[in-house]
Amino acid sequence: MNDNRIEKTKIRVTGLNFSYGGRLILKDMNESFEESTVTAIVGPSGVGKSTFLMTINRLWENIPQAEMSGKVEIKFDGQFRDIHDRSFSPSRLRRLVGTVFQKPNPLPMSIFRNVAFPLKLAGEKDRELISYKVREALTKAYLWEEVKDRLTHNALALSGGQQQRLCIARSLVMEPEVLLLDEPTSSLDEKAAEVIEDLILHLKERITILAVSHYLDQVKRIADRIVKF
Amino acid sequence: MKRPVEQAITGFAWLSMAMLLFAVFSVIGYLFLKGYPSLDTRLIFGDTAVLDALLLRKQVFNGLFPAAAGTLVLVVMSVVWAIPVGIATGIYLAEYASARVKGVLNLFFDILAGIPSIVIGLFGFALAVFLHKNFSRAIQPCLLISSIALAFLVLPYLIRTTQMALEGLPEDTRLGALALGATKLQNIFYVLLPRSLSGIMSGVILAIGRCAEDTAVIMLTGVVATAGIPKSLFSGYEALPFYIYYISSQYTSPEELLTGYGASIILLAICIVLFSAAFLIKKRLTYIAFYRS
Repeated sequence: MNDNRIEKTKIRVTGLNFSYGGRLILKDMNESFEESTVTAIVGPSGVGKSTFLMTINRLWENIPQAEMSGKVEIKFDGQFRDIHDRSFSPSRLRRLVGTVFQKPNPLPMSIFRNVAFPLKLAGEKDRELISYKVREALTKAYLWEEVKDRLTHNALALSGGQQQRLCIARSLVMEPEVLLLDEPTSSLDEKAAEVIEDLILHLKERITILAVSHYLDQVKRIADRIVKF
Repeated sequence: MKRPVEQAITGFAWLSMAMLLFAVFSVIGYLFLKGYPSLDTRLIFGDTAVLDALLLRKQVFNGLFPAAAGTLVLVVMSVVWAIPVGIATGIYLAEYASARVKGVLNLFFDILAGIPSIVIGLFGFALAVFLHKNFSRAIQPCLLISSIALAFLVLPYLIRTTQMALEGLPEDTRLGALALGATKLQNIFYVLLPRSLSGIMSGVILAIGRCAEDTAVIMLTGVVATAGIPKSLFSGYEALPFYIYYISSQYTSPEELLTGYGASIILLAICIVLFSAAFLIKKRLTYIAFYRS
């Protein structure tokens, strides 16, 4: 590894083991991901691709019978930090590491409130700032033009592709540095998927993206690097 | 050979449903046929003017108004004690308890659910006696003691339905808000509980019904045949189920027995009012959780 590579590394995974209910799923994984790149994670189903994403945002801790060992470090403000460090709460980590799931999961509330939800969780009270940030996130997620006149409508009335972009906007509203995408287009039709692929390429300028994907042509289009599981 | 068996099972299911419907309608129909003739303002308010009675300006002596008021106050109080404790315990069991603690507590709450109401009544009575001897001579079986005993009686329903509703939520619902940076408590209050309200409601409905109908507990803990409307938490009170029980065992004329049917209809009506109130509160809470801007 040369110096240049180290400088650009955003996420460093060393000696990662993961087991679920006593069954070892990930064994002694060592991997690193560079800043502002899209890494596609590919492989047959059931090999632990989604599980791997859950070790980056510590979401695995909420899965009963899951166990993990090893080290995951992410560089924030130029310094690598062990994400399991006691001083680093999971909720703070997850504001810096956004996640979008395979199935769009808006909450049963208005479009605006969905996007503002992470801000509410973080204790943001300033209504003007919230409005501004919601608009900014929706714009970044290519959704603003489509929903600007119906922000108070129920988010569940949106189409699948719009819902998924809403979920991406919801993750972006906290201005994360890393974005984990778990098969973000698999429940969408081709056209909606294209919009999201385009969006991913646009977002990587500022965000390090790890995306699990099943579609090889999609991987070719968006990925700077491919990790096979 | 599979078809006939399947058909038989379908037929049996239909038959069971028909029997159930028949049973429900015959009970309610019979009640109304019998009780309807006696159902008028005289039955409820006796010789007192309706407005005077409702505004508590005059006492009602020979009507069911005091018993209806007693039941209403009793049910609301019992549910108000039981709901916070029951829901909090349900949350603890579903979200915080380790597998071992959960196993032990589940057993305890199953036992509590299985205790006959007369035993709970006896416990309430013993509590009243204990307080009377050790704290104040003024404490005797009363509305407060009854409501606490009834709260114990319905606690298992609330605990169980809350726990089941929370545990039944799919994993993606559970993880969604956590992935957005919610703490465990935020996840419970902003997402999991609002999503479980329908399930929790079924427990609240069960609890209301049980509090409204129970006679064994209140007989031992403070209900009396004549007391007027409840004056304080520490006084005796009248209640509809006790009136129905009393009139059906002590009636002196067929007309008097008919007032028992009238009382049953009023009891049903009170339950319906309370159920509706519970549904309105649920709707309001869902609105506050998800839709208020």
